[in-house]
Amino acid sequence: MPLVNMKCNEKIPERGKHIYIHDPENPVIPACNIKTIPGDMTERGCAFAGSRGVIGGPISDVICMVHAPVGCAWFTWGSRRNLSDLHAWAIPGRLTNTSFNRRYCVVTDMQEKDVVFGGMKRLKQACLEAFRLFPEARGMIIFTTCTTGLIGDDVQAVARQVEKEIGKPVFTSESPGCSGVSQSKGHHDFNMQFYRQINALRERRPELKMREEEKTPYDICLIGEYNMDWDLQAIPPLFEKIGVRVAAVFSGNERIENLIKMLDVKLNVVHCQRSAEYIAHMIKDGFDIPFIRVSLFGIEQTAEALRNTAAFFGMEELAEKVIAEEVARVEKALAFYREKLAGKRIAVYVGGPRVWHWIKLLEELGMEVVAGACTFAHEDDYEKINARHKGGILVIDAPNEFEIEEMLVTLKPDLFLTGLKEKYLARKMGIPTVNSHSYEKGPYAGFAGMVNFARDIYQGIYAPVWRFQDGLPEAEEEAEAECG
Amino acid sequence: MRLREISIDGIPYDRLRVEKIPAAPEYVPRDPELVPASNRSVVVNPNRICMPIGAMWAVLGVHRAIPFVQGAQGCTTYARYTFCRIFKEPATIATASFHEDAAVFGGRQNVIEGVRNLVVRYWPEVIGVVTTCSSEIMGDDMVSFLKEARARLSKEIGEEKTEEIAIVLINTPSFAGSHVEGYDRASRAFLESLATTRDVPSEQVNIIPGMLYPGDIREIKHLLREMGVEGTVLFDISDTLDAPLNPPQEIPYYPPGGTPLAGIRQMANARATFALQPHAGGSGARYLERKYGIPAFIGPVPIGVAATDAFLENLSRVTGREIPSSLHEERGRLVDAMADTLHHTMMKRVAIFGDPDVVTGVTRFACELGMTPVAVSTGTPSKIFAREIESILAEYKEIFLDEPKVFNGGDLFEFEEYLKTIPRLDLILGHSKGIDISRELEVPLVRVGFPIYDRFGYQKKPVVGYRGAELLLYEIVNEILDYRYPDDRTQQL
Ligand code: SF4
Ligand code: SF4
Repeated sequence: MPLVNMKCNEKIPERGKHIYIHDPENPVIPACNIKTIPGDMTERGCAFAGSRGVIGGPISDVICMVHAPVGCAWFTWGSRRNLSDLHAWAIPGRLTNTSFNRRYCVVTDMQEKDVVFGGMKRLKQACLEAFRLFPEARGMIIFTTCTTGLIGDDVQAVARQVEKEIGKPVFTSESPGCSGVSQSKGHHDFNMQFYRQINALRERRPELKMREEEKTPYDICLIGEYNMDWDLQAIPPLFEKIGVRVAAVFSGNERIENLIKMLDVKLNVVHCQRSAEYIAHMIKDGFDIPFIRVSLFGIEQTAEALRNTAAFFGMEELAEKVIAEEVARVEKALAFYREKLAGKRIAVYVGGPRVWHWIKLLEELGMEVVAGACTFAHEDDYEKINARHKGGILVIDAPNEFEIEEMLVTLKPDLFLTGLKEKYLARKMGIPTVNSHSYEKGPYAGFAGMVNFARDIYQGIYAPVWRFQDGLPEAEEEAEAECG
Repeated sequence: MRLREISIDGIPYDRLRVEKIPAAPEYVPRDPELVPASNRSVVVNPNRICMPIGAMWAVLGVHRAIPFVQGAQGCTTYARYTFCRIFKEPATIATASFHEDAAVFGGRQNVIEGVRNLVVRYWPEVIGVVTTCSSEIMGDDMVSFLKEARARLSKEIGEEKTEEIAIVLINTPSFAGSHVEGYDRASRAFLESLATTRDVPSEQVNIIPGMLYPGDIREIKHLLREMGVEGTVLFDISDTLDAPLNPPQEIPYYPPGGTPLAGIRQMANARATFALQPHAGGSGARYLERKYGIPAFIGPVPIGVAATDAFLENLSRVTGREIPSSLHEERGRLVDAMADTLHHTMMKRVAIFGDPDVVTGVTRFACELGMTPVAVSTGTPSKIFAREIESILAEYKEIFLDEPKVFNGGDLFEFEEYLKTIPRLDLILGHSKGIDISRELEVPLVRVGFPIYDRFGYQKKPVVGYRGAELLLYEIVNEILDYRYPDDRTQQL
């Protein structure tokens, strides 16, 4: 039976159906994307984190208006490393230190009376003021949260009024934290609502579509790429080299103007297939623009991504040349790391897709993934894990802290690829970690990024600190000798 | 990136430098009418977080205690994330995981099930139940829910074991206050529900430190030890949020230390309570005073000479212990350091921001160093803050170069914009959110207060006590020297 009952779950056996050991002969899909068990010490976040933090946050030139008491907004203020190059002016002649999307936290700061009487007036006022304060903003996204969801403010009405008064697009993302079981609900909501809203906007204002003369036959949109630690420095140049034009990125470091034009490309290339495949599907259904799924981590997968993209446009030859050149650049460095990392056993815990993105990458470096856990994966993510792993991997859906501990203690991996919350716990057990959400020192994507990734894994495993973890050397024998 | 070979160092940082693109053709000042926070509805760059995180902080300072947050997952997960960023330590916090059904039917089932699931796997000694905006809006009747939760537990694990677990309810709707108040409410909630009998009065004193870091709490304990005074620190995070790496670990992981439950119960027997921060812990001290007549000494937070003097004098008065020579010496060393550095601190213009009590303390110390606090800002508005700052500023008025501007409440946007208008500024004292303005104005930032998440070690370095002040002073002076004299003129200080 591939389902696993962990010891820590004796008292909540429902968790059993979320955990399995993959057997290629008898593959299973665990229970997933279902309600979290209260008090199980889950690592999951809220739907708002998925919409505001993951997808909305990276957009470079809009005001992210969080309609909430101050906390929800504070927590999403510059806390993800979704970097951007667009900066406001700090003082004459000097741009701000941090890019526009991470420099300001804009919130309605709901007070008790707003909660009682409704927050729409306050919201509208706040939106108008924010546009006055930040005239450089090209638009706005209003995010709802539990508080404003519960009191039922009609934020769409406010958005329409503000857009009319200001003349810049105002979007809404209604995805209160409690509306779903995890961040995943927020991704979904954002995809659906944003798609619907850019469509409507293009109808209202056709001049915002891509002009004919701007179009090329090789336009793609990179979907589900959020520019973590400048992954975008590693990725689009590769596509450009093989002869395609990255006309838009959904949504890393992207201008809203280009996002509105994402319906005008020839092909969508979907990287994060959990948080953003929805919009690719809708664009395919609505506009007949096909999409392909890619992994942009690791040598093989990145090469394949380029190949598949090139094949769509019939430009395979150039792609092969580019791949060969790029691989040559990193070969020596990777050879070094392959030798150091061969045989290491790795546990991976991320949101979902990176588990299967990274299985192959880690294998390329000679490592083995012994455990994989996902915060908000759906069935298709587990299918992909199963398809990519040779078997024997322990897989945990929506793990809680105790399960992670038991996994670490029983499997004793050489390194744990995980997020910030869990990494300090693993370290207390003497297990090195690499931050797999915002990275240690990225970018990790693409060919060159792979060297960074390998380097950070190597640093984790080979740091001398682990030699000291067992405490002072026992002096017992000597003491005995003296006494004796 | 050009087609160069990539070495084993990976892509070096300087090759990753990205050209900044201006969002507008040129600098245009922010609409002056909207710069003052009081002129607008929108808040930009808040200088405070929400109530629950303050309450969670408090619970994490209790031995084998776990906060249980009655709300949706984000309020918990984000707070844990924040603790991890600050302390570089794990933070175990449970959530009721409200989903859509809870939003419709209320959180009754979530807390009953949640407390059960938490207990049977983790066996905490204390559960601090922290509410959030959503549970407060839905009007969860937490008192009766928790009764039900206990009854449910009792059925499964027996009455005796259920009785052993203390459950403390802390109501923290964020739209009614900031993290500082969350901590404050926790102090009162814990004492009200646990320190219930004054039977055998003791010589001990109670210390409620407020949101101070492990290094500060250790320093306070040091002062108590030197004084020969026994004390209980309520919400003692000095070990729980600064634990050694020392495997193997038992699972589930509990950090060492924290205030023991028995210790909290004994606080009703103490001789006095010192709440070092009026806004974060004052309520707890006042409660004990009202209920049992235990004298409450509320503030000032012992940052700098005069405030540390006051703390020790009060301690000495109430316990009858003399301030020992060792502490006189520590004081002497601090004063000596102040004399050594005065040419670099006098007549410096400093901007200070953060939580009300720390800002008050740091402002007083800055004045003691001969600096002019040109701008002082707290995100949690308060009358006490206004009063204390006013009296500090009045005391040092004659050495100021400029008229200080006080922001009582308001956001960091307003504060920043103000700093841009003043002709000269030498130093910023505040938490990590000040880094951008520091870089943009090319004015050094000395990190102090909550939260500091972008550098290592600040959680361990005290700013309280004479020794803490000395360390803070060195940091201040060295930053000023680095920024103001990057050449060799300072080689013979
Ligand atoms: S809902 Fe309230 S408690 Fe939760 S994060 Fe937002 S402000 Fe804080
Ligand atoms: S209140 Fe809701 S939206 Fe805000 S952080 Fe909490 S769970 Fe997320």
